[in-house]
Amino acid sequence: MDFKKLLWDLFYDTGKPLSQFYAWAHNLWMQTGLPGFILDVFFQLVIAVVIAVFIALNAIWIIYYERKFAALLQIRKGPNRVGPFGLFQTVADTVKMLLKEDINPDKSDILTFWAAPFIIFAASFGVFLVIPFGNGLIAGDVNIGMLYVLAISGLAVIGILSAGFGSNSKYSLIGGLRSAAQVISYEIPMVLTVLAVVMLAGSLKMSDIVAAQTGNPLKWYFIPQIVGLVLFLIAGNAEINRGPFDLPEAESELVSGFITEYSGMKFAMFFLAEYTNLFLTSALAATLFLGGWQGPFLPPVVWFMLKTYFIVTILMWARWTFPRIRVDHLMAFSWKILLPIALLNLLITAFLIKVI
Amino acid sequence: MIKYVSEIIKGIISLMQGLGVTLKHAFRKPITLQYPDVKADLPVRVRGRLVMPIDPEKNDNRCTACNLCVKACPNLSIRTEKVVEDGKAKPKAAKYNYNLATCMFCNLCVEACPFGAIIMSEEYELAVRDKSELMIDLVAEKYVLKGKKEKYFLTKYKEE
Amino acid sequence: MNNYSNIPLQASNNGADEYILNMGPQHPSTHGVLRLVLKLEGETVKDIVPDLGYVHRGLEKLFENRAYGQIIPYLDRTDYLSAMNNEWAYVMAVEKLMAIEVPQRAEFMRVIFAELNRIMSHLLWYSAYGMDVGALTPLLYAFREREEIIDMVEAACGGRLTHNYYRIGGFRQDLPKGFFDMLKKFISHFNDKVDEYEALLINNVIFMKRAQGVGVLKKETAINYGVTGPNLRASGADIDLRKQDAYGVYGRLDFKACLRDNGDTWDRCKARMAEMRESLKILKQCMDMIPEGEVMAKVPKIIKPAAGEVYTRVEGPKGEVGVYIVSDGTEKPYRIKLRQPSFSNLSVIKEITIGHKIADLVAIMGSLDVIIPEIDR
Repeated sequence: MDFKKLLWDLFYDTGKPLSQFYAWAHNLWMQTGLPGFILDVFFQLVIAVVIAVFIALNAIWIIYYERKFAALLQIRKGPNRVGPFGLFQTVADTVKMLLKEDINPDKSDILTFWAAPFIIFAASFGVFLVIPFGNGLIAGDVNIGMLYVLAISGLAVIGILSAGFGSNSKYSLIGGLRSAAQVISYEIPMVLTVLAVVMLAGSLKMSDIVAAQTGNPLKWYFIPQIVGLVLFLIAGNAEINRGPFDLPEAESELVSGFITEYSGMKFAMFFLAEYTNLFLTSALAATLFLGGWQGPFLPPVVWFMLKTYFIVTILMWARWTFPRIRVDHLMAFSWKILLPIALLNLLITAFLIKVI
Repeated sequence: MIKYVSEIIKGIISLMQGLGVTLKHAFRKPITLQYPDVKADLPVRVRGRLVMPIDPEKNDNRCTACNLCVKACPNLSIRTEKVVEDGKAKPKAAKYNYNLATCMFCNLCVEACPFGAIIMSEEYELAVRDKSELMIDLVAEKYVLKGKKEKYFLTKYKEE
Repeated sequence: MNNYSNIPLQASNNGADEYILNMGPQHPSTHGVLRLVLKLEGETVKDIVPDLGYVHRGLEKLFENRAYGQIIPYLDRTDYLSAMNNEWAYVMAVEKLMAIEVPQRAEFMRVIFAELNRIMSHLLWYSAYGMDVGALTPLLYAFREREEIIDMVEAACGGRLTHNYYRIGGFRQDLPKGFFDMLKKFISHFNDKVDEYEALLINNVIFMKRAQGVGVLKKETAINYGVTGPNLRASGADIDLRKQDAYGVYGRLDFKACLRDNGDTWDRCKARMAEMRESLKILKQCMDMIPEGEVMAKVPKIIKPAAGEVYTRVEGPKGEVGVYIVSDGTEKPYRIKLRQPSFSNLSVIKEITIGHKIADLVAIMGSLDVIIPEIDR
């Protein structure tokens, strides 16, 4: 086999060698005469483990990145003690988290209290299924990709609510309820902006949306959908409870909102989910508006990561600059400003598609 | 409608201004002092903990146990004992017990001292593991001042 | 069963969705150890009772057992963000009691340090307020400038927070060498920094929406509750003791009281930002006008004022700092009463927060700029 060709394919057309490998393994498996689904389950497990490892490593990096970026904006130095340039700070923090006592508040609802971090984490974990990291590098290219993303990420609110309810703390409860209201209201402008993109691409399938934008940066959707991009970033930032929309946590008001009573590894799960969600929102924005993994010269995965981290940086920049929005302004902002603009955007897009 | 749009635009402008301020700061140098590695250059008047330095001319401290500092201290942090020879008290401190736990670094004792025997040093890292270590006998300590503070002490608190 | 007897509020049981929320003493935005008991309906504040006394140290009783000179360091520990203003009020009272004339240079130095302390206090308010409303970056920016001032003050008196610099009759030491260079450098760039602060937080649309029309303190209410300082001036009352009493050399300086009209949270913030600029103007003038000479008046070694009473007040960064001394002719005061602004400034909170949200409560609390050791003493 041509080794050079394989290497090229691995970097620039990752889907091809992977599917070749799968076909080869499948053939081998079929010769043993065992049922085929066992192999599929095995492969899915492998993919899940790969994603889990990616999430963990990515979270370690993204937390470090956020702390460094915040330090940059705040004219300080950020973590620089553990390891070179403080790179292992997050690892040290994680170890600390693991060693912490796992506290269950008195009279807490054990089931919901325990389920919450797992639901939240599962919701962000599930979305990875349809994120196209590169050319063909997508865990499951389902044909309702975008719908799936919206449905699964909407599950997180159940986790937040059950965290707020299960903690037996008024602060947590207020945080949980705030979050429910917030996530539901911001889902609507988000769906509408996504809809405009879907209309342009003509498909809900992630790989189709990427393919429709082609390798030419001028055809990426951030040009016709610049308003949509801004709306998507605002709504997405609100969805993941960060930046100026961190009302469910709202440190100065609700101590820590729905994570007030959590400690140890359960707290770490919330933390992990928060940063994974940040990555996911940015990845979606990159996929929907910035042409996904497409770009010249560099391998698709690198392009995808660059674009995603570009969006991550913008979201962080907003987070470390703005004060927190009040809860009723948050609602008003969603329903009175974002929704009309999103609708208008959708209408104009639909009109233009019909005309051109 | 016009009001609605203009308000949105005004809002966006103000948000951009905020982003501009943080962006500007991203290119400024960090102001962090890497504390345990790098220490700030302290002015000569800084008030750390109380010490009774050795006067190099006398090769001993200047204290006469006159108790003026004891009277000046608002918190009763200082206790002195005079040297007793042949049943007679001498103008010299045998013990100068300084309680770091109750000291509030007000400098009143230093101002009260007519001989310039005591001074507040540059030491500010004063945490200890055991409470008993907070009780310090300054006479027995035989502290030697260094740097700026030494000059300050030798010239009886004159700055050049 | 838990003992709830110390909760001063009761949620009504007649079907309304009311509940009691205990905010503090350990809470990120109560600025120390203030406890607020809230009656909430949803997120709306229905009733509020502040519970004080968590850092009560009995300072006023302590004073009765201290010589007059020994009291000054304790005053640093009431409003620790502007220690020199407290010192000034006290020192002025004793000087008035003993009829001591303070040298001119010392008077100017007092103004300089009082204004530096005012800027320091407002900067800390700004940074803490940023945290209250959820913006984390203002803290670092404001502390950068605050650090500069602290370095100046440290060079002069050796202390960073508890200054203990003013003395009965003047000052402990003259200004250090190079102080005016530092001051000049600070003055030259601070105005731009204030512009940055305003652009970053105060004029931000998110913040303006949160602050405008929230927590409106009417002029009459403010006066009735004894609110003083920037909080009162934001409500439109032209009361600035630096103007009215013209103590020290304030009469010779040109500055204006920073008035606002509406008395809402935003106006209180704006008033403080404007005050920083005014303080800068005062500093500039002082730097030009300060004469050479002694910094300490002739004061007897043992301070023993004649029997009598005296009340003096200065305009602190948070409001009127008053000291009332009753002397019985001995070395120790018979009674000292401190009148400090935060107590009356906090007392108004019930008037202006009911009907607002929890988030507003935090914003209003922050805009009142209370400091707990000053309330409890």
